[in-house]
Amino acid sequence: MSETPSTRAGVVAELTIATAEGVLFRLPLAGPAARLYALLLDTVIVLGTINGLGYLVYWLFAIAPGFGFMVITLAEFAIGFAYSALLEGFWNGQTIGKRLFHLRVIDQDGLPLRIEQAWVRNLMRVLDLLPSAYLVGGISVLSSPLMQRFGDRVAGTLVIRQTPLALPGEEFWTRQKYNSFMEYPAIAMRLRRAATPELASLIQEALRRRNELAPYARREIYRELAQYLQTEISPFPDELVERLSDEQYLINSSGILFGDQPTLGYGSPRR
Amino acid sequence: MILDLERFQAQARPRWRHLECLLAAFESRPDRRLSPDEAEQLQELYAQAASDLNRVTHGSLAPELRQYLERLVARAYAELYYAPPSRSEMWQPRRWLRIFTAFPETFRRQARYFALAVLITVLGCALGGVAVRYDPASVDVLLPADYLRNPGQRVHEEEQGQGRHRHSAQMEAAFSAQLIRHNIEVALLAAALGVTFGIGTALLLFENGVLLGAVTVHYTQQGFGLFVTAWLLPHGVFEIPSILIAGQAGFYLARLLLRRQEDRNLRQSMREWLVLVTGLAMMLVWAGLMEAFFSQYHAPVLPYGLKVAVAAAELVLLTIYLLMIGQRATGIEMRHGDSLESR
Repeated sequence: MSETPSTRAGVVAELTIATAEGVLFRLPLAGPAARLYALLLDTVIVLGTINGLGYLVYWLFAIAPGFGFMVITLAEFAIGFAYSALLEGFWNGQTIGKRLFHLRVIDQDGLPLRIEQAWVRNLMRVLDLLPSAYLVGGISVLSSPLMQRFGDRVAGTLVIRQTPLALPGEEFWTRQKYNSFMEYPAIAMRLRRAATPELASLIQEALRRRNELAPYARREIYRELAQYLQTEISPFPDELVERLSDEQYLINSSGILFGDQPTLGYGSPRR
Repeated sequence: MILDLERFQAQARPRWRHLECLLAAFESRPDRRLSPDEAEQLQELYAQAASDLNRVTHGSLAPELRQYLERLVARAYAELYYAPPSRSEMWQPRRWLRIFTAFPETFRRQARYFALAVLITVLGCALGGVAVRYDPASVDVLLPADYLRNPGQRVHEEEQGQGRHRHSAQMEAAFSAQLIRHNIEVALLAAALGVTFGIGTALLLFENGVLLGAVTVHYTQQGFGLFVTAWLLPHGVFEIPSILIAGQAGFYLARLLLRRQEDRNLRQSMREWLVLVTGLAMMLVWAGLMEAFFSQYHAPVLPYGLKVAVAAAELVLLTIYLLMIGQRATGIEMRHGDSLESR
């Protein structure tokens, strides 16, 4: 869960929802490992509850242990299903384990799950945990593009990863008063036209994450990016480049790509 | 088009924050209902966030920002389009009591799957019965448990045993709980095995039928027909139909999964499956109590005639319940289902 978004972008399964208004958004699906951890935690909680209840019942039914046993057996059975079904149904698709591991059950249309769905997916557990240790459910998850166990397939639900919402920081890296690249408007224009959005964003991201990168990695990345720009896209004169660090080279390029442009009065790339 | 992320973020940040606050407020509401004004406001911010997301997706490579906006849009989307049942409706006792009428209604609506379950069980019974009748050696294979193979000894033990260790209500209570739990588990499995396109459900029902047929014929051959009827029927008249209803739910599920994705009305179907499962669980609770507290008493204590009469009365009541209770016309029921969905 601590992976960076860039490393997980290609690896992790996701669900793409296309809404009626033509909005597309992706929901990252939870992998089997995270779900297993959440399940183990929930199992511990359920067993703890049942054991605690057991002591209480044995104490209450001290004169009639047979009836105590009856109550315990049925309560254990009911709690096993009701714990997940009720919590998921009334607590935004999350059990305690799921909340701690940032998982959430939702409808496969991207909406909150309904109470019937919560019951169906949890009653179907009797099948998913066969023959032992959730083998059937595990195979179902791994063979399903949406990572659904059989209970999820029948109930039309899926488990997504829901990491806390955090708006990326708003530090400004690329603004500066003087940009030496502006002295070479022709080359700057070339840079502006040739750079793809991906390349431009890559430069901006590399600068923005300056402090997250290890010094060595940062030096290497900045060197490669600057070299690529210099050789492939916009060869600025050597006497200028020699005076600049790779980082400054990128800051200048970013200023050209995104900045205000007193250069040739070329149309703004923004609205 | 290259998007200047910094400038873009600086401009859009206030409205994202606004949306975030709004969502947090709505999500913490217990009934999750929106007033028309709130819905309009949410709709506007949602549309803006969606268009911002679109620009970030196509105009730049900013995974974190994109992820943030996707989460924001997803939450707003869920809030806008989800129609929750209101608390008051949910906690109305009438809504919960409706299961008692919904169960027989659903049972009748899906009667053809019940017929299929009966057919398969009857085939199993016939096979088990015929095998034991014409090939006594098959008893060892079909009836693995020792007590099933030696009816005479078992009947003797049962009839004598109740004198030796007196049945205490406590032991019976514990026994009934185990029976209820085990039976519900098996029935649930039969209903869930519908995902194997009904094959698993059919196998389970067939096996159950074979066992039933073999035991009945074996005991009858040895002259314990009355004993076995009185022993099994008081709880069997609920237990056997409930496993058949589990089969019905399983086949219903299988039929649903065999439909094309777009033809499934998952919401309605799920409710049907759930109602059948809940109903059969209630039946099994009764069967478990009967099996522990009533079926285990034999001739000197309880005359076999009485036991069979009780079983017959139960069967009549169950039949009346399943066939007569609830609304007759299915059209009304369907309209009710629609109104539930449109809420």
